Formats: sequence, C-alpha cells, structure tokens
Amino acid sequence: MTPESGEPLLACRNVFKYFGALAAVNDFDLDVHTGDVVGIGGPNGAGKTTFLDVISGINAATSGEIRLEGRDISRVRPDLICHRGMARTFQLNAGFDSLSIRENVLIGSAFGLGDRGVPAVTYSRAMRERVDRALELCRLTDRAHATARDVPVLERKLLMLASAVATDPKLLLIDEPVGGLNPHEVDDVMEIVEGLVAEGMTIILIEHVMRFLLQLSRRVVIMHHGEKIYEGDTQGLLSDRRVVEVYLGAGTADRLQHMLAERAAPNG
Amino acid sequence: MKYRDLIIFAILLAIAIAFPWMGVKRYLIASALIMFCYATVVSQWNLVFGIAGIFSLAQVAIFAFGAYTTAVLGRYMDLTLWYAFPIAGLAGMVFSFFVGLACLRMRGIYVALLTLAISQVMFVLIQTDSACSPLNQRDNPATCVSFTGGAQGLGGFGSFGWRDVLGGRNWILGDYYTMLALLVVALIFTAAVTQSRIGLAFKALRDNEELARSRGVSVFKYQLIVFAASAFLTAMAGGFYAAHFGAVGSNLVAFPLLLFLISMLVVGGIGKAWGPLLGAFLLMAADEVFKEFSDWRNIGLGMIVLVFMIFLPEGVAGAIEAVSKRATRLWTALRRRSSA
Ligand SMILES: Nc1ncnc2c1ncn2[C@@H]1O[C@H](COP(=O)(O)OP(=O)(O)OP(=O)(O)O)[C@@H](O)[C@H]1O
Ligand SMILES: [Mg+2]
Repeated sequence: MTPESGEPLLACRNVFKYFGALAAVNDFDLDVHTGDVVGIGGPNGAGKTTFLDVISGINAATSGEIRLEGRDISRVRPDLICHRGMARTFQLNAGFDSLSIRENVLIGSAFGLGDRGVPAVTYSRAMRERVDRALELCRLTDRAHATARDVPVLERKLLMLASAVATDPKLLLIDEPVGGLNPHEVDDVMEIVEGLVAEGMTIILIEHVMRFLLQLSRRVVIMHHGEKIYEGDTQGLLSDRRVVEVYLGAGTADRLQHMLAERAAPNG
Repeated sequence: MKYRDLIIFAILLAIAIAFPWMGVKRYLIASALIMFCYATVVSQWNLVFGIAGIFSLAQVAIFAFGAYTTAVLGRYMDLTLWYAFPIAGLAGMVFSFFVGLACLRMRGIYVALLTLAISQVMFVLIQTDSACSPLNQRDNPATCVSFTGGAQGLGGFGSFGWRDVLGGRNWILGDYYTMLALLVVALIFTAAVTQSRIGLAFKALRDNEELARSRGVSVFKYQLIVFAASAFLTAMAGGFYAAHFGAVGSNLVAFPLLLFLISMLVVGGIGKAWGPLLGAFLLMAADEVFKEFSDWRNIGLGMIVLVFMIFLPEGVAGAIEAVSKRATRLWTALRRRSSA
C-alpha cells in the first residue's frame, strides 16, 4: 500500500533534545514515507511535542540527523522548512487572533510555499484557490469571515489545520487535534483528517484519544521518557506488554481491542 | 467598510483644503500644519508598532535624522531643499534599516530599550558637538558653530521657498498645503501597505510570531522591510519640519517629543487606520487648550498614556469602532422589530 522502497520523505536518526539534564527526546529514530500516516502516542511529558518542535525547526535538536527528501534540515529555520514542504499545527490552539479565518489560511497559502525576493503586493489565483480548497477540506468555508479570536475551540483547531493544509505540505504534522473536544466533535475532526488522508497526504499525528489515533494511523509509535518503546501496527500495540503497562492500562487496551474488532466486522 | 473609509477620507481632505479660507487665525494654520507633520510620523510609527507589532521607539530618531540630513544638505552643499527631501528620505531608510538589523534578535521591551538608547545617543552626540566645524570657517571664529549646530541648533539652510512664490503674507499657505500633501501620501501609503500581502506578513508576525514562522513568514525579511518602509516618509516629514521652521535642534530627538508622539499613537488607537490622525488632532487640541499649564505638560502626557493603556487600550478609534458596531446591531434589531 505504501511505497516502502526508496528514500524516505522524512528520516530521523539518533535525534536528541536536552533541556538541561532532561532528555526530552532520547536517541529517537523515525522514517516516514510518502503516503504514510504515522501516529505518535505516549504519556504526558513523553516528548511528543518536543519531537515535532525539533523536526519543524522551532527548537533545534541537540544532536542527530533529520532529513527531508534526503536534505538535512536539522539546522534550518522554520520558515524555510515550511517552504520545503513540512507544515505543522500546535498543541495549544495557535492562531492569528485579530485576523479572519480566511486571512489565517491565506497566510499559509501566500507564504508557505516559498517567498523569495521582493514580495508582491497582491495574491495569485493559485494562492486563492489553495485557500478555498483548504477551507473546504476543513469545513470552514461558511465561517471564513469570522475573526479567529471569536470562534469556538473546534473551529480554532480547524483553522490552524487549514492554514497548514494551505501550504500544500508534503508532510503534515498534527499535534493533538482533538484535545479538549467533546466526542461528537472528535468524530467531526476524524472525518476531516480522513479526508486529508484520502487526498493522499502524508501525516504524523499526535493524539491521546486512542480511538482517534488507532483509527487513522497505519503505523503507531509510542514514546516514553523521550524514547521509542513501540513501533508497529495497531493490533500489536494493544498486546504489547510495555505499552499496556506504561501508557494504556489493561482496561483501556481491552476496550480498544473490542473497538477494533467491531470495526473490522462492521455488520456484526 | 472600505467604502465608508474612503468617504471619511474625502470629507476630511475637503475640510483640510478649505480650512485656511475659513477665516481662521494664522497661528491655527501653523498649528494645523504641524499636526499634519506629526500625524505623518505617527502613521508610519503605527505601521511598525501597530501593524507589525514591533515595539520600536526609533521613529522620532528617524524624524530627527531626516531633519538634520535636510539641514546639512541645504547648508553645506547649498542644495535646494526640494532635492534634499528625497535624499533625506532615503538616508532615513538606510538608517532605519540598520536599526532594524540591530533589533533583529530582540523582542518586545528590549527593542524599545535599544531604540530609546539610539535616540539618546543621537541627542547626546548633538548636544556635545561644540567644536567649530571647518565647513563653518567662513563665520567669525567667535560665533562659528559646529557641524550639527550643537545645543544651539542649526539654521541657514533655506526653506520650501514659498515666500518667493506666494509673498510674505501667504507663504504659510504653501507650507500648509505641502505638509498636507505629505500627510495624504502617508495615509494612502499606510493603507495600501496594510491591505497588501506585505501587510499580511506584518500582521501575522504581530499576532503570533512562532506560528507565522511555521507558515513560511520570514522574520528577518519583514522586520527589515517594515523598518525601511516606515522610514522614508518619516524622514521626509523631518525634512519638511526643518524647512518650515528654518532651523533644527536637539529637541527633535529629546524625550518630550517622543512622549508627545507616542501619546498620539496610544490615544488615537494603536494599529487602527484612523488612529494616528485622531491622536494627532486630539493631542494638538489638548496642547492648545492646556497651554497655561505647560509646566505640567509631560506629566499630563504620561498620565494620558497611562489612562488610555489601562481603560482604552484600543484608543479613541477603537472606542468609536465598538460604539458604531453596537449601534449597527441595535439599528438592525429595531428594523427587524418594526418590520415584523
Ligand atoms: N522549553 C522547555 N524547557 C524545558 N523543558 C521542557 C520544554 N519543553 C518541554 N519540556 C519538558 O520536556 C518533556 C517533554 O515535553 P513535551 O511537551 O514534548 O511532552 P508531550 O509528550 O508533548 O506531552 P503532552 O502529551 O502532555 O503534550 C517534559 O518533561 C517537559 O516538561
Ligand atoms: Mg504535547
């Protein structure tokens, strides 16, 4: 299903990130190929967000190698990493508060693909089309004129996602897209992300809501104390002793087993 | 909304053009033209501070830089001031570009401190410049002034030249309309930049720098652009100011002027399109009314800034916006009720 052959889109080797003596990311390796949807889970403070910060250039790695399409990006500025095709969302609902939803998305579209030389004054047709497309994919078209500051939490999360999608990323990083949402809203976001997957987008997804993570991911990575303690498919995850011990707990693992079984046989 | 702004602009412009012919006293014409000058500076400051969200206090230093460049070019190179103005504008851009470069790795209050320090250095350099300049050797050695004129200030560099065209009584009209033209250009320029793609990058960096960078907006590029772009008309305004008064002095970089202009920005409404104009008008008017209490001027200005920061952080423009929004809502509600 996924083209496992050839050079990975993203290749991380021996990545470390220290805060003082704390190894928030500890000797982490990860390969992501075009078309992958990789889920990252793990307890609070495991280092998931820090890992995203490191690969997206917000917070440079202490050491290690990070390659996007074979080119080293471990010391590249976040705006240039965005131009090279990696876009992310933030765990805390970041937005351009004084601007409309449309303008928020327009920023991703107008600057996210490259911005060399003297900046033009107006927007190209392609830019506006990317905005329309991103708004549509994230179901924000009807809300485009609302001011970011005033919109409810679900829409804030979606507008952040839409502004990332508008950069037309080769790799999309999503940090806890459903944290703080009610179950109904979780389903809405799930459908939207499924839509992005259907578009063929390559995604790294962080989430605590396991049904969300398991349903969308084709491969799951579990982090603990900055290290990778599991990498593999969703079935194996629920029977992995260490993962059940440090993260899921036996009850949750059982419940998720049932959920997956039901999903595998939807008419049963 | 944009349409409404255009109408307001047209009305205000018509009033400003007619103003000198409405039988007003001459000193009011002089005050109005100073107000235009300050409003120009504040509108450019608004671009840096209000639109791009950079807490720079360098605008007054750029203004003074433009004034001194004009004075020096006029005095020592015998340049007609009409040629000196654009050169001063470009020199101001270069100056501001380097200030922006120096501030690149700083954020928030540190930018304010550094830019304030730059103004202070300029002030001290001018104040202590007392050695007779070789360029002024033609003067009698006892009265020979330094290159910048030092604490006494510098004159003798010419004017707009309207006296020759309009005569001894009406030259002030020439100064008035020249200054008005500069303000009109400044307001159109600011509005255009604010609405443009470059303006969108400024606002993105202002609202959330980390997110903006993650969406491909370069801090480096847009910070330098805003520093350079906001400096041209500011330095030109400095040149016009010098041309109107026929003299420049270190008071142009001194603290009271900085305080006066920042009060305009705060009172008018930081980041608001009409803020600089409103602020300049209100503070010039207040200054006129409270002339007798001039000893208390700086304290009063400080209090005004404080009160607005706490109770009306969006300034008068923000308050008007809020009231008109509420009025529109009330109006639509009433109409709906009457039609039902
Ligand atoms: N800027 C920072 N300075 C110091 N320590 C930090 C910093 N950012 C994160 N940490 C620490 O690094 C560790 C990893 O944090 P991180 O936010 O990456 O965890 P996470 O897996 O995203 O957790 P959560 O699920 O709660 O979002 C935590 O112990 C955190 O306290
Ligand atoms: Mg996190």
